[in-house]
Amino acid sequence: MPEFATLASPYSMPAALHGDVDLTDPEEQTQSRALNQFLAGVELRAFKIAQAALRHEDDALDAVQDAMLQLARAYSHRPAEEWKPLFYRILENRIRDMQRRRTVRGRVMAWLPLHGNDDDEEFDPVAQAPSPEPQPARRLELDEAVGALEQALQKLPPRQRQAFLLRTLEGLDVAGTALAMGCSEGSVKTHYFRAVQALRVQLGEFYV
Amino acid sequence: MSPADESVTEFERRARVVLEESVRRIDARTRSRLNQARHAALEASAARRRSWWRGFTLMPAAGAVAAAVLVVVVLWRHEPPGTPPLALDTQHAAVEDMDLLTDNDSIDLMEEWDGSFYEWAAAESDAGAENS
Repeated sequence: MPEFATLASPYSMPAALHGDVDLTDPEEQTQSRALNQFLAGVELRAFKIAQAALRHEDDALDAVQDAMLQLARAYSHRPAEEWKPLFYRILENRIRDMQRRRTVRGRVMAWLPLHGNDDDEEFDPVAQAPSPEPQPARRLELDEAVGALEQALQKLPPRQRQAFLLRTLEGLDVAGTALAMGCSEGSVKTHYFRAVQALRVQLGEFYV
Repeated sequence: MSPADESVTEFERRARVVLEESVRRIDARTRSRLNQARHAALEASAARRRSWWRGFTLMPAAGAVAAAVLVVVVLWRHEPPGTPPLALDTQHAAVEDMDLLTDNDSIDLMEEWDGSFYEWAAAESDAGAENS
């Protein structure tokens, strides 16, 4: 008998070794695929919401990553229709934690001697390349609108900004926004109405 | 719907367009990092299911071990080492009691108890030992 005949044939191996995820389980596959689709669908908008709150790209990425992990570990077994409000609730908690930590860090750093700016990074033209853009004239118009809206959003109180972004950008309804923000539906309506009024005052010339 | 409501609706529509545009402009590096974060989350979810499944598959073995330990403990408490002689004596005494109850001669002997005979026999035995 030739020596290589003693090696196990891949066809004789079990589909999943003991302790491994059984990838042949259709239910597992379906849930994993659904979670992947959900996260892929919200990750960019979640990043924008976190960035608007934290005003720091890396912190926003960390917050979104933590929210993804927490959702996947603790709530992936829940019905898929509950994922979105739960995800944004987790994200909001992470944003608050980071803001609190940043406040404490700022107080500590104020007592320390001058320090360098650690956030400086080398310019990477490939990494910084934007997605395919529209025509130059339209692009200029959108540049102004995006810049103006982002500035106006920074001036909003956090709860108003959150309500506005969850309703307008993420498209959550009032009940879902209330669940994500951890408040009543009446509070959501109030925050949202005030946010829209404040933004209209600031952005009138760009948007009317 | 009032004109004010309509204007708010139009404002929202335009704001949504601008916000979606800002999302579309997220750079490739950030998209890549978000993609990595998503896969890490999916892996964490799979690992959690894996550990749950491992616990589930080990449950019968753990149950069998626990049952075996329980049986050993129960037997240990009922028959601790060193006690079999006592248990045997107890059984033997019970058999003797039954013999006494069923044997009429033994009962007569006990009823005609003569202590002086036994005292005499013991004294004779002691005297014999001293003489020898």
